Amino acid sequence: MKPSLKSRLTALAVFAALAALTAVVSACGGSSSTAAPANTTSVVGVGAGAKKVEGTPVKGGTLVYGTDREPTCLDPHNLGDMPQTYVARQYLDSLVSMQPDGTVVPWLAEKWNISKDGLQYTFYLKKGVNFTDGTPFDAEAVKANFEQTLDPETQSSTNLVYLLPIYKGVDVLDKYTVRINLKRPYSPFLDVLAQAFFGMESPKAMARGIKENCVSPVGTGPFILKKWKKGQEIDLVRNPNYNSPPADANNQGPAYLDAITWRFIPDPSVRWQALQSGEAQAIFNIPPEDFAAAQSDPNIEVQQFVHAGIGHYIVLDNSEPPFDDLKVRQAFNYAANTAAAVESAYQGAYPVATSAISSGTPFYTAKYANLYPHNLAKAEKLLDEAGWKKNANGVREKDGKQLTVKFIYGSSPGETPPAELTLYQNVQAAAKEAGFEVTLVPQPLAQHNEQANIPKDYDAEPTYWNCPTPMCMYIVASTETYDSPFANMSRIKNPQLDQTLLAAAATTDRKKQAALYGKAQQIIAENAYWVPMYPEQTLLGISKKLKGVWIEPSEGEPILSDAWLEG
Amino acid sequence: MSATPSITAGGALEAPPRRRIPGQVVLRRLVGALLVLWAAATLCFAMQELSPGNKALAILGGSGARPPQEQIEATEEKYGLNDPILQRYTRFIGNLATGDLGTSYQYKQPVTSLISEQVGPTLVLVLVSTLLAWVIAVPITLLTAGRGRLRSSFGSGFEAFFAGMPPYWLGLVLLVVFAFELGWFPAIGGTSPDALLLPALTLALPLAGFLGQVTRDEFERGLKQPFAVSARTRGASEAEVRRRHVLRHALLPGVTLTGWAIGATISGAVLVEVIYARPGLGQVLVNAVSNQDLPVVVGITMLVALIYVVVNLLVDLLYVVVDPRLRTATGVA
Repeated sequence: MKPSLKSRLTALAVFAALAALTAVVSACGGSSSTAAPANTTSVVGVGAGAKKVEGTPVKGGTLVYGTDREPTCLDPHNLGDMPQTYVARQYLDSLVSMQPDGTVVPWLAEKWNISKDGLQYTFYLKKGVNFTDGTPFDAEAVKANFEQTLDPETQSSTNLVYLLPIYKGVDVLDKYTVRINLKRPYSPFLDVLAQAFFGMESPKAMARGIKENCVSPVGTGPFILKKWKKGQEIDLVRNPNYNSPPADANNQGPAYLDAITWRFIPDPSVRWQALQSGEAQAIFNIPPEDFAAAQSDPNIEVQQFVHAGIGHYIVLDNSEPPFDDLKVRQAFNYAANTAAAVESAYQGAYPVATSAISSGTPFYTAKYANLYPHNLAKAEKLLDEAGWKKNANGVREKDGKQLTVKFIYGSSPGETPPAELTLYQNVQAAAKEAGFEVTLVPQPLAQHNEQANIPKDYDAEPTYWNCPTPMCMYIVASTETYDSPFANMSRIKNPQLDQTLLAAAATTDRKKQAALYGKAQQIIAENAYWVPMYPEQTLLGISKKLKGVWIEPSEGEPILSDAWLEG
Repeated sequence: MSATPSITAGGALEAPPRRRIPGQVVLRRLVGALLVLWAAATLCFAMQELSPGNKALAILGGSGARPPQEQIEATEEKYGLNDPILQRYTRFIGNLATGDLGTSYQYKQPVTSLISEQVGPTLVLVLVSTLLAWVIAVPITLLTAGRGRLRSSFGSGFEAFFAGMPPYWLGLVLLVVFAFELGWFPAIGGTSPDALLLPALTLALPLAGFLGQVTRDEFERGLKQPFAVSARTRGASEAEVRRRHVLRHALLPGVTLTGWAIGATISGAVLVEVIYARPGLGQVLVNAVSNQDLPVVVGITMLVALIYVVVNLLVDLLYVVVDPRLRTATGVA
């Protein structure tokens, strides 16, 4: 529910930038690698990735897919909101396709290689692929896509923030070879490109300008965007000439379905009803209160996918009292009892997060997870040591100041649905036992957007980040992003953490990456910089009549070109 | 607005009000309407100015956007957000006057084309609900008003019950009972005709309650009026008296109320459109408000103001149709 309604802009974005602006530790000597398709069986993300499906695919039929939010622009190069990437995946192909472990397999790029210094990515493109308006897909088209994405006219905060800091230029080497030059090495680059936010669009269509391209973008994908009936649905029809599926797709030809009706059903209970009554054959985000019923329904399959990234967490303002003190941060982590809070608020439909990054993120390690299970005694002891003593009202005090925590959040129900507020109230009540006086301060959106970036206006606030790589940690915790809006809201300055993550961006050696990303997770957990709550999640409810659906791991996009409807 | 005809007890005995020459009346009305629209526009502008938050941020993607500083500045420049207030005000009014409502921050489309795409389903819903409300209210009044205690109480109880019913709750109940449980209607029918009845009923039932209440009061008074008595003495049947004489008299307050109701129903449509997943202005407005898409908010506000103005003009005309006293008065003058 929460994730759905929330207008979450691609948080993902920035990290790229990050690595960027910095004088990166380059020169760590990346190895030249001709990308070997990864083996698809090593599933890290929960529920992500192509699966072998039983049965013989049937051609034909129209799938009604019920989702919550409607994008404002169907060209995902503009803006960068999650609903864009979900639908864009149906009509756009990307250069590569990400695997749950963070490796990539060929898609529109047949192969690629990365220069030793990590600064040049050369892509060898599939031949004979056409956009659905007849324009051929070639190196010039790739170039046009990067240029459009970086054109300020498109107002793509996502891509500007992503690419701008690392992007140097694009060279067309021949008709089917294109090279992207980076200013600095950035090893998650291929994962970033796998998102539908970087799907390839027809240069001819893009040349019409943002106004038209927002309504009718054109790709090479398995479906063609036929009509956007605003406020109601997007109609997609099969691309009969589809010949460019990713290497990990089960179906290597045109889609089985004739058409998809991508229906907007903002009310969660109506969406759930539409699935039960058969008016829709698949829905996005089953409401938490119906999750148990969905799981026990013999006619419904539930697919649960944990997004990569930081997930939902409580920012603690590390720059000012009381959370500038490690002991107080640890005490808050011990006292908050997020496990019980999430469980009761979301009725078991959401897993609990206990680490710096979500368990669906490549290079996630359980080693530094759950460092702060609920433990009131430890919380009290740490606060005592830090000099905060309980007064007659049970609130702690130090030097005449009370241990108050101003917890700000956006008040609109889209931003903070009732269940989410319950979660905050649960944390508030749990922390009170240890002597924290947490005040929940609801704010209208505009006010919240401003205050969310002014540390003196908050001690704590909830936020989240989706991104296909653990480099996301750099966005939310680096010196470089300290003053960027919505980035390092916790105000963390830790040179050791900065260097660790920049070193990870500078190597393509997966073993080294694993060690470095692991170390970053350790640093963040041990410093109790923030309070993890739960990972971003996609819950698909799928009628048993619909077979073959799977969720890809970069942004949790549903793959419907492999799906078919039975009888 | 306007010389409201006397509809109180004894109204029939008063001399018919003198009317001005229609041309002059029309002109005065039009000037009045323009003033109302100008005031609405100025109010909209003031609200834009007073609304908190960075407008460039709203343009660049709202709550979740993470735009770099340079992009924010470029956007402020492009949209003239830092121009002096007077300059922005004259530009705003000038654009409105030429029918240019600007470009949506969120959709990057002209506001006029967004509205024209979405206004159809909302108008259909509003008109059908208003008609339906009359279709429900009139028979109930005819069958129960002034027909003895029991019937009367039943009728007015029904009206009070529905008049006080919150549309959001009613919408959910109708949806759960008739779409979810009984399966008579689709839950997500969108704009298909079979999906219109439940949303229209959701808006019509409370409105029918209101209309019924005012019509009943006037109806019961009318039954005791001299014109009813004289009709009866002329030998008209009771049914005929009720239908042809008293009802016509009793409709006037309801007609006035309808003018107001059409405007109010557009706002009510917001909730109904969300519950029934119907396209329309309501949904667009909700999204626009929560994303600070000010041009769209202003555009829809101005449209609703325009509808109010037009509907009230029509209501004034309708008086003449419903009330023969006004017809002769106008004809004579």
